[in-house]
Amino acid sequence: MRYENRQSPEGINVTKVNPFAQFLKLLAMAAIFVVLLVIVLQFFGGALAKRIPFKYEVQLMDNLDISLSEVEPSAEIVLYLNELAARLASEIPLSEDKQVYVHYNDESVFNAFATIGGNLLFYRGLLEKMPSENALAMVMAHEIAHINHRDPISGLGGGVASMIALSMVTGDTGFAGSLLTQAGTVTVTQFTRGMETAADTAALGAVYRLYGHVNGASSLFEIMGDVQSDNKSVPDWLERFAATHPLSNDRVEAVANTAQRNGWSTEGELTPLPDAFLDWLNIN
Amino acid sequence: MTQFVIFIVFLGCGFIFGQMAEKKHYKSIIEREQQTNHLPVIASKFPPESGSYHQQLIAGSVVVASDYFKSFTAGLINIFGGHVTPYESLLDRGRREAILRMKHEAQQINADYVFNIKLETTRIATGRLGAIEVLAYGTALIPHQNASEQQDAQQNALQA
Repeated sequence: MRYENRQSPEGINVTKVNPFAQFLKLLAMAAIFVVLLVIVLQFFGGALAKRIPFKYEVQLMDNLDISLSEVEPSAEIVLYLNELAARLASEIPLSEDKQVYVHYNDESVFNAFATIGGNLLFYRGLLEKMPSENALAMVMAHEIAHINHRDPISGLGGGVASMIALSMVTGDTGFAGSLLTQAGTVTVTQFTRGMETAADTAALGAVYRLYGHVNGASSLFEIMGDVQSDNKSVPDWLERFAATHPLSNDRVEAVANTAQRNGWSTEGELTPLPDAFLDWLNIN
Repeated sequence: MTQFVIFIVFLGCGFIFGQMAEKKHYKSIIEREQQTNHLPVIASKFPPESGSYHQQLIAGSVVVASDYFKSFTAGLINIFGGHVTPYESLLDRGRREAILRMKHEAQQINADYVFNIKLETTRIATGRLGAIEVLAYGTALIPHQNASEQQDAQQNALQA
């Protein structure tokens, strides 16, 4: 018997493809898939979460037992913030089945947010920068509008659904997975920005009804815009696309446009913050 | 932004250097396969009945790494399914290189054939790294005359 090895034709075990074209095609397919998936889940997850009665949201927050602030509810700053919130809630108007409670946190974070159960949290870092009550009222009304629109629970519902689905899709895919998760996160922000814009519009109306004008409403966005442009690392178009909130400068413009469209006066006397406001902030 | 730039650089390096390395490797594989083609490597368990042979286990192994570009593309294919073409060439190269290394050993010991050849593949890197080891082993059949020459040579080497 004769034994021989014939050379097999070259390439029979390797599929001939253009690796770069294949890569681009796959990347495009994956991105479209993730974006569609997140859109569907954000939409349905958010819509379903909004159907949860508000009282369960409050119970959920109670059960979670998350401490938003360590400040006594009787502290003057908390009383003042809640009194302002009550005035704005009746102007928004906040629907009867919901209520808001404002917490104060003595940290230098430049932020305020609304979370589930009608809880708002204001940080000292933000309140210190407030030029007038009108500016504070705009931020407060913005957060109350989020509660009124059920944005926190809707964002949570949609976000959790999307993230679970994304982690299932991209679980074992290594590098590709982390890139696609980014694509998903950017898609989520398209939803949150819509919520922010709606909240801004509702808030501006409440501020107008409370003070009779909208002067000072956008002054905090102007301050934020200045802070952001001082330490800017990405171009405007990219930030506009990827950020959770509209750009501060865009918000200033939007406020002016909304006011003009509705015939709300942008001139008017600013209401100062209480004299002792800064003292109230320094709890410790 | 920085992360994105790093990612693009990694991807580009993976693509350029990965393709270059693969091309070079294939060129060398094809060349050496032609050079060693006279030595048959047979999968059968039954050696030729005619002739008298000394038998010896021989093995060749190789570790080949994937590149960033290949791993990334393979990750995307994982979502949709289908042929994982980036790894096809990786494994093909691994198998052929392992057989070539085994054949090299067979030539060193003046074997006429290698019988009962088997291949094994192991993934040796976990997580985001991709590398495989391919092991080829078989039974080298060395004609008795050659085998005794070889033994003499080994003994001489030991004595010297």
